[in-house]
Amino acid sequence: MNLKSYTALFLFVLLGLAGVGHLQKYIDAQQSSAANEDDQVMLRSSKLVKGLSLEYAPLAADIYWTRVVQYFGNKQAGKQVDLRLLWPLLDVTSVLDPQLMPVYDFGSTFLSDAPPRGAGRPDLAVELLERGLKANPDQWRLYYDLGFVYYFDMKDYAKASASLYEGSKNPKALIWMKTMAAKIATEGNSVETSNFLWQDVYNTTKDPLVKKNALRHLQLLRAEEDIKQIDTLADEYQKRFGRRPVRTSELMQSGLLRGEPVDPLGYPYILSEAGKAELNSKTPLRDKWFKEPASK
Amino acid sequence: MTRVGTVALNTFREAVRDRVLYNLVFFALVMIATAILVGQISVGIEQIVIVTLGLSAISIIGLLISVFIGVGLVSKEIEKRTLYALLAKPLRRWEFIFGKFAGLALTLTVNTAAMSVGLFLALFYVKHSIERADTAVLVAVYFILLKLTLVVALAMLFSCFTTPLLAILFTAGLYIAGLFVHEMRHMQAGTIDPALGGLLRGISYVLPNFENFDVMGAAAHGRVISGMLIAQNTIYAALYCAIVLAVAMAIFSQRNLK
Repeated sequence: MNLKSYTALFLFVLLGLAGVGHLQKYIDAQQSSAANEDDQVMLRSSKLVKGLSLEYAPLAADIYWTRVVQYFGNKQAGKQVDLRLLWPLLDVTSVLDPQLMPVYDFGSTFLSDAPPRGAGRPDLAVELLERGLKANPDQWRLYYDLGFVYYFDMKDYAKASASLYEGSKNPKALIWMKTMAAKIATEGNSVETSNFLWQDVYNTTKDPLVKKNALRHLQLLRAEEDIKQIDTLADEYQKRFGRRPVRTSELMQSGLLRGEPVDPLGYPYILSEAGKAELNSKTPLRDKWFKEPASK
Repeated sequence: MTRVGTVALNTFREAVRDRVLYNLVFFALVMIATAILVGQISVGIEQIVIVTLGLSAISIIGLLISVFIGVGLVSKEIEKRTLYALLAKPLRRWEFIFGKFAGLALTLTVNTAAMSVGLFLALFYVKHSIERADTAVLVAVYFILLKLTLVVALAMLFSCFTTPLLAILFTAGLYIAGLFVHEMRHMQAGTIDPALGGLLRGISYVLPNFENFDVMGAAAHGRVISGMLIAQNTIYAALYCAIVLAVAMAIFSQRNLK
């Protein structure tokens, strides 16, 4: 082959690859329009997947877990609330490698958090965590996660307390778990407890996503407290002036407030026409997080 | 034994000449890419995936070498007619079989050791340290090596009396069956005929149990692997290899090579 032939071959390969790449875009467009989401979990039988994985089940579990993260992340990014494939993916992953702790730690949060933050299935989160405890009875962290789900998402304070107490029996458990179990058993839901739990998540997690989630919950808890305070001041205003205030400036002018109250992101609170304190419509807390209060 | 050593060393040289060790470059690239990528696309499993992927790669690459080269060890010598020249020398047939086995075992040991170094480098890159718990990874690598030597012995046994293609199929089939020994032993009563269940249970005890060597999960989660298991698996592999090689030597000694 001479230089001319090589040049012709090079050009042919180059143009051919460009053509293939271009064609692929059309094929992708065709496939995405016909894509069935169920294909993402083609094999739902965890036993079958484990059998097919031969001795490489732990590696298959890592791959499935990565798919869980990607699936959840894509749904969150696309602001989609339908997370019905989350459970089959987590189910297969936890059977493939029952010792893979992130599946229980993060998976239970993904499942239990209310939409749009999660799948709104705390019952499945409990099932996942109980499965995790069966395979890893010495992991106190799973009792902590279970207590978290019972406390925040199922509002079952007796079970939350029992889970934390059970976990606290492990010598490696967090020192405050026993105290918190007793506190929840006595008081049930309280802002102080909610604040403490989320603050602990914020302080101890190494994962930036979990940290961000905990921070949002903490901000929301503070906003809830602020709103209660402003409402109390509005009640006081009503006692003094015989009507509800409709602007926070009225509370300031009356001397009940020293300055303009702002939420943790710096957006001023507003009062509704009925004189009730609310988050500012511009604050991201309201858009994304205020569908369900964090402490309830 | 000198004659066995000569055959073994030549088998190792031949494998190196056949560029068998080139897979190490591929392995290194996979480990580097994984170490960088996984942290970006997953949550909480950066170290675990390095271990599981590294051990899986060592196992799969090792298995491919064991089966395909193991089967070719005898058949290629017959096909190329180099076996006749060898056997014309003062070399017994069993020495030829044992030497070939030892040569491939040596190749696999070098290959596995090099890949383990790559695995630990990737682990160090992700963790910035190597801890005591990581010795479980070394044990897992050792178990893979034991498993591979057993596969080589089986591949050689089948290649002594059948065609290379069938030998590959038999070895692969026996290997996969050996991964389901536990299931064979614990078939649910009522779902299977009792006589067949008993037969399967009996077979399950004589089949090579490759599940014994599967400690990938334990290694990935840094769990301690007992010294007793290491000793038992070593004896199991040695004993099983000795049995399989003895049968292979007996068949090969009786084989009509004319």
